Amino acid sequence: MMQKPEHGRNMTETGKSRLLIKMMLAGIIICLAAFDGSSAWAYKRIVVLYPAVSPILIELGALDMIVGTTRSDHAVKDAVKVGSHLRPNIELLNALAPDLIIAGSQRAFPREMEQRVKAADILYYNPVTLDEILAKIRKIGDMLERRDRAEKLVLRLKKRLEDIRPLPAEPSVIYEVMAEPLRVAGEKSIVTSIVSAAGGRNLVKIDRKHAVISTEKVLQLRPDFYIYQVGPMNKNPVPPGERPFYKSLKAEFVKVDELEFARPGINAFDAAVNLNRIFLGAGHE
Amino acid sequence: MRIILPAALVLAFIAAVSAGAVKIDFFSMSEMERNILFDVRLPRVVLAGLVGAALALSGVLFQYVMKNPLADSFTTGVSASSAMGAVIAIMLGLMPYIPLFALAGGIAGLYLVYRIASYRGRIQPITMLLAGIVLSTFASATISFMKFLSDDAVSSIIFWLMGGFQAATPLKDLILFAVICFSFLSVRGDYLKLDILCFDDTTASSTGVDVNRLRKKLFFAAALLTAFSVGYAGIIGFVGLIIPHILRLGNLVKASYLLPASLTGGAAFMMATDLVARTILQGGQELPVGVITSSIGGVFFLYLLIKRRKELFYFN
Repeated sequence: MMQKPEHGRNMTETGKSRLLIKMMLAGIIICLAAFDGSSAWAYKRIVVLYPAVSPILIELGALDMIVGTTRSDHAVKDAVKVGSHLRPNIELLNALAPDLIIAGSQRAFPREMEQRVKAADILYYNPVTLDEILAKIRKIGDMLERRDRAEKLVLRLKKRLEDIRPLPAEPSVIYEVMAEPLRVAGEKSIVTSIVSAAGGRNLVKIDRKHAVISTEKVLQLRPDFYIYQVGPMNKNPVPPGERPFYKSLKAEFVKVDELEFARPGINAFDAAVNLNRIFLGAGHE
Repeated sequence: MRIILPAALVLAFIAAVSAGAVKIDFFSMSEMERNILFDVRLPRVVLAGLVGAALALSGVLFQYVMKNPLADSFTTGVSASSAMGAVIAIMLGLMPYIPLFALAGGIAGLYLVYRIASYRGRIQPITMLLAGIVLSTFASATISFMKFLSDDAVSSIIFWLMGGFQAATPLKDLILFAVICFSFLSVRGDYLKLDILCFDDTTASSTGVDVNRLRKKLFFAAALLTAFSVGYAGIIGFVGLIIPHILRLGNLVKASYLLPASLTGGAAFMMATDLVARTILQGGQELPVGVITSSIGGVFFLYLLIKRRKELFYFN
C-alpha cells in the first residue's frame, strides 16, 4: 500500500523529466532555427522607406514581402504608400504590422521611432560605395533567407563592372547635385564611388555627401568633366555652358539622370559603366 | 557718419574683391584668375552690395509707410510672397524663371496688402501691418506645404530660401541697379515730406503733404526693391531692420541723410557678410548668407534693444 504512491510519484517524475527533455529539445530547435535564420524567423512583411532598396528586394524575389513604401517609390505599385521618407505615417506603419523597416538613415528614421512601430526591426541602408551596396545586398539576402539570390545578384553586378574599359588617363570630375545654390557631390556621396569605378576621380575632397561650394573653386579646380544631374533635386537647371560665370570653364558638360547616378542601388553599377563610356567617348587623354 | 559710411563701403568692396575661395595675385593675374575675378567675383560682390542697398532702403521706406520701427519687407509680407513665387518656380522646375516668379509673387502680395489696407482710397498703416503679417504667415504655410509635397526637392527649396549670390551675373547687377535708381529717385524729392510723415497724419496733411499718395508711392518703391532682391538672392533677413536702426543711432534721423546712408550702409554690410559667408569654411565651401546676416543682425539688434533702448528713434 505504501509503495503505490511512491510508484505513482516515480511515474510522475519520469513524465516530468520527459516533458522537460521535450521542452529542451524544442528550445534547442527554436534556437537553432533562429541561429541559422530558418523560415520561422525570416522577415515577411517589409516597409521600404528608401526607394533605392525596392529594386534590390525585387531582384531577391521579395516583391510580395513589401507591404509599404514611400510615395516617391514607383518600383512597387501595389504596396501601401506610407508617406515620405522623412515623415512616414506612424499609424499606417503600425497598421501594416511590418517586421522589418528599411530606412535610409537615422536622421530620416530615428531609433526612437522603432518603439512607436511595434515588433519591427530597423535596417539602415546607407551605402556610400559600390562595395558597400554589395555588402548590403548580402545582408538583406541573409535577413530574408535569400542568400543564393543575393549572391547571384552580387555576382551579376560585379560582372557588370567588368564592362568598364581602362582609360588612357584618369579624368577629373565635378558632379553638380544642385545648380542654385551650387551643391556638388562630396567624398561621402555614392557618386564619388561611381566616378572612381568608371575610371575618373571626384575633385571635391570634402568629407560630406554634398557641399555648397563657390563657383570660383570650380573654375580653379578645372575639371575635365562637369557632370550635372537632372531630377527632383535639380529640376530643369540652366545648362552649365550657358551660365555666364562658367564661360571660361573648359570642361566637357555631361547631363545625367539623378535617379540613375545619385541613388545608391543597383542602378549605380549601370551608372558606372555608362560614365566609363562617356569618358571613353569623349576621347579624354 | 558722412565719412565713415563711404569709407566702410570702399573698404568692404576692396575686402570682398580681394578675398574669396581662390587667392588671386592681382599684380600678375593668370588667365584663370582673371576669369574668376571678372566672371565670378566682381558680379557677385556688386550683386551683394546692390541687394544690401535695396533691402536697407526698402526697410526704411516700409518704416515710413507704416510708422512702425519694426516694419520691413518681412512684416509687410512682401518677402514671404516673393519667396512663395520662387518656391512655386522651383517646384515646377522652372529654375531660370525664379526671379520672374519671385517678382510676380511680390507684386501679388503687394497688391493684396494694398487692397486690404485701403479704405476709401486711404491706406491704414495698422491694417497694412496686420495684413502683411497675415500674408507672411499664409505664404510661409504655403511654402511649408510645397516643401512637404516635394520631398526630393526640399533641400533645393531650403537652400534657395537661405539666400546667396552664387548666381550673380552682370545682367542681374544692371537690372537691380536700375530698380534701385528708379526707386531712390522716385522718393528723393520727398525728403521733407518723409520727415513730416513721422508726425501724425493730421499734422502731416495740414502742412500740405498728400499723405495717402506719398504712402502709396513709398509702398510701391519698397515692394519693388524687395521683390527684385528676393528674386535674385533669396530671403536675406534683418538687413532692412538693423541698418536703418544703426544709422538712426548715429544721428542720421532726417530722411535726407537716412535714405542715402541706408543705401551705403546696406551695401557695405551685405558685401562684408557675403565675404564671411564665402570664406569662413575651408575647401571652397560656402554658408548661406542669410545665416550670417540673421545671426550677426539678430545678436546686434538684441544688444541695441537691451543696452541702448532709450536712444532708439526719437523717444528721448
